[in-house]
Amino acid sequence: MSSRLPEQTKTPASAGVFTLVITGAPYSSQAPQTALHFARAAIAANKRIDRLFLYGDGVHLASSLSAPPSDELNLCEAWSAFLTENNIPAVACIASALRRGLVNESEMQRYELPAFNLRAPFEIAGLGEWVDSAASESRVLYFHKGS
Amino acid sequence: MSTLIIIDQPPYGSWEGREALDMAFSLAAFDQPVSLLFCGLGVNWLRKGQDAAKVQQKSVERNLAAAPIFGVEALLADRHACDQYGLSETAMLDHASTTDFGPELVSHFDHIAFAG
Repeated sequence: MSSRLPEQTKTPASAGVFTLVITGAPYSSQAPQTALHFARAAIAANKRIDRLFLYGDGVHLASSLSAPPSDELNLCEAWSAFLTENNIPAVACIASALRRGLVNESEMQRYELPAFNLRAPFEIAGLGEWVDSAASESRVLYFHKGS
Repeated sequence: MSTLIIIDQPPYGSWEGREALDMAFSLAAFDQPVSLLFCGLGVNWLRKGQDAAKVQQKSVERNLAAAPIFGVEALLADRHACDQYGLSETAMLDHASTTDFGPELVSHFDHIAFAG
């Protein structure tokens, strides 16, 4: 293994297209709500969001079983509506999702589980989706749980 | 496009570091240049002779040993954190090297991602 550092090959992506990565869970972190505020502001400013990628604890945002009290913001529902309205693809990492009990119908069948709980329009896919964004011209922003 | 994945979480306290390692391996699998930097408590990933059996986890040492095979370019340890947590060069995995985590290091990469 070489410890020689690579050279930066190009300047950072222009701020016109964003990929959002959420790793913090709804209700135990502020990450999904902060990301939603950012996303709304970006769309309002005529910027484009090419993908939302949920990773780690962030996959809980794609649950269809989240049912907070009616006088509280339903973050899963709010994100789902925003994604549908703006036609933004949203992917939950399959490895993160399966570890945490978030499955779609085909994974339910594959692992012989009693139910599935992936909320539309989210899909389950691999880290290749994130690699695709990282290697593209998009600016990738991470929303973590914070310390 | 070169990426630096930064792990600042200890190896067995959460899954965030392991999931960051998966990110690095995925980039390497798609032939994207990637290096790993361990800082803060994260430098403990690089200790030789880890045994995680008592917490019913797999040792991360084996995952890291596979990093060069999967195409991860460098395993870097922040020198300041190594001093802070008493990790000497001799106690560190053979293919890791120390560096100074700062603007100069970061400027070499196009894309930076933190674990959780």
